Amino acid sequence: MGMAEFVTAAGPPAAPVLAVSGDLDIAAVDDFLHRAGALLGAGVLEVDLGAVTFIDSTGLGALVQLRRQADAAGAQVRLTNVPARVGRLLELTGLTGLLTDGPEP
Amino acid sequence: MSLPPPTQTRRRGARGPVADPGRVAAMVAVAGLVLSLAASWATAQVDANSEHRLLEWQTKQAGSVLSTAVTLLEQPLATALSVQQVAGRARDDTAFTGFIAPYVGSGKSFLSASLWRRDGQAMTRLASVGAEPGLASDTAALQAFLQRAFQSATTVVEQVTTDSGALVAWARADPGTGYAVYAERAAPAGRRAAVASDSAYGSLHYAMYIGRQTAPDALFATDVDPATLPLDGDTSRVTIPFGDTGITLVTSPQHHLGSDLSRWLPLALLLGGVLLTALAAWTTRRLLQGRREAEQDAATITTLYEQVEELYGQQRELFVRLQRALLPQATPQMAGLEIASEYVAGAFGIDIGGDWYSFVALDDHRFAFVVGDVSGRGVDAVAVMAQARFTLRAYLLEGQGPATALERCSHQFDIVADGHMSTVVAGVGDARTGEVTLANAGHPVPLLLDGGVRPVHVPPGRPLGAGPSRYEETTLRMPPGSTLFCFTDGLVERRGEDIDTGLGRLAETLLRSADRPVADLVADAVAQLRGDAADAADDVVALAIRRVGAG
Repeated sequence: MGMAEFVTAAGPPAAPVLAVSGDLDIAAVDDFLHRAGALLGAGVLEVDLGAVTFIDSTGLGALVQLRRQADAAGAQVRLTNVPARVGRLLELTGLTGLLTDGPEP
Repeated sequence: MSLPPPTQTRRRGARGPVADPGRVAAMVAVAGLVLSLAASWATAQVDANSEHRLLEWQTKQAGSVLSTAVTLLEQPLATALSVQQVAGRARDDTAFTGFIAPYVGSGKSFLSASLWRRDGQAMTRLASVGAEPGLASDTAALQAFLQRAFQSATTVVEQVTTDSGALVAWARADPGTGYAVYAERAAPAGRRAAVASDSAYGSLHYAMYIGRQTAPDALFATDVDPATLPLDGDTSRVTIPFGDTGITLVTSPQHHLGSDLSRWLPLALLLGGVLLTALAAWTTRRLLQGRREAEQDAATITTLYEQVEELYGQQRELFVRLQRALLPQATPQMAGLEIASEYVAGAFGIDIGGDWYSFVALDDHRFAFVVGDVSGRGVDAVAVMAQARFTLRAYLLEGQGPATALERCSHQFDIVADGHMSTVVAGVGDARTGEVTLANAGHPVPLLLDGGVRPVHVPPGRPLGAGPSRYEETTLRMPPGSTLFCFTDGLVERRGEDIDTGLGRLAETLLRSADRPVADLVADAVAQLRGDAADAADDVVALAIRRVGAG
């Protein structure tokens, strides 16, 4: 529980990493998309969801939107450290294939 | 966004309205003026008393000085008479003349002096010094005056008016020897004689009368215009002996006799009091006005708050009505089915969600239904919901299967353009056979109540808006009496809890109500699962389809 926070760092090999913590919900998605969108220029963006405590349908929508913006820009987005709870939601909403390296259903 | 109730709202006037600042200031002003006037009046009284005492004291002093001067003036006459008494025995009438001469003449004590002797009833002048006596022209009067002197133990005095002006006449007689002395002195011209300004009595106006009365014809001298007499204002009077009569001295102050402080204090108190009063009244007015303005501001803010609250309420009500207008207006009916639904708006300020459901009869026994949930909130979400709802409905009415309908829709929605995506469960069924075909675009799967409760496995494809996608269909056969329960995630989702926990809670709730009428089943589920949610922010839609009759 709690407001989402974002930390940007350079990850190996020099790809930017956006670490998200807290609740990725309707209150946080605008900020998330703004920060993440600004990092797409590097070509590869890693979004670390390890510290996400809650994600709602708008949070999932934001991940989808980021992925589609990356596709349009010829960039790649990788979700890392996806918590089981978030992974289960991705699975239930048919988004596992789109957002992770898992198989398309 | 939800605003707390304006608890301060209707306390206005609880302490009573603030008194009119102008009125209170006027009361302060009146009180201050009364106090100032009283203080000023009292001080003025003290000053007036003190002035009068000073005047009396100075007048008494002046009387003493005058008394001495009169004595000194008369002394030569008495001495001359004594000299003549001694010399008279020697038959020398010149002794008188020799003694009195220095006192007679212009600018001296007397204008004229003369020596007389009584012979029987007649008076004979023996000698004379200075001017011819003014009274001599009226011998009878002079004779009478001298006779009076012989009958008096003291000098006799009289003021007489002659052709040449006013005179004071003295006569002193010695009955033993028969001698009498007569002298005259001119009254001041026009009876006016100023007091020297450097004199001790320079601050007084005076009027001097011969005799004990202050009749105009008794006036001897004054420093003011005789026509303006008697002196007005605060006056003091003293009478000193003068021959067989007296001199009455009346005075009034030319100006303030006491200290300047005593003189100006009443005015200073009055002016100071008026100034302080004005200041107090002004300050009172300002303070009261300030308080009144502050209260008015508070009232204005409260009113604005109420208006904003009301506007929010109206807006929210409008949105909820809009959304309800997009939901089926009446409970759908179809032979062989019992259908119930619930829609609950989330408690999230004025923002509303985009949950919806549809039930469409394709013919007399085939039907299609949709339960969907647009991510996010607000009017945009409702617009996307309306679009998805009518698009899907159109494809299903056209006869498309649920997978095809969803796939076609997946090409028409894009979260990048819309800002929202939708999860949907769509189904097509037959009331006669109980066969239902389902497809799923990222939505929580329906539950089937058939003795127990189990999720219907419908493999999820992407939500609408997440890009073009393909969907798999799942077909099940609903036994008679079984119920298919479709819902949106608002019913099961809780912060800080796995989605499966919520799903398990829903399953238990449905199981407990499984034997109840389908409307009660839905109502129970919504009431119980929403009831224990701390933040029931999300919308909820639940749709239950029960197959009845023999299959």
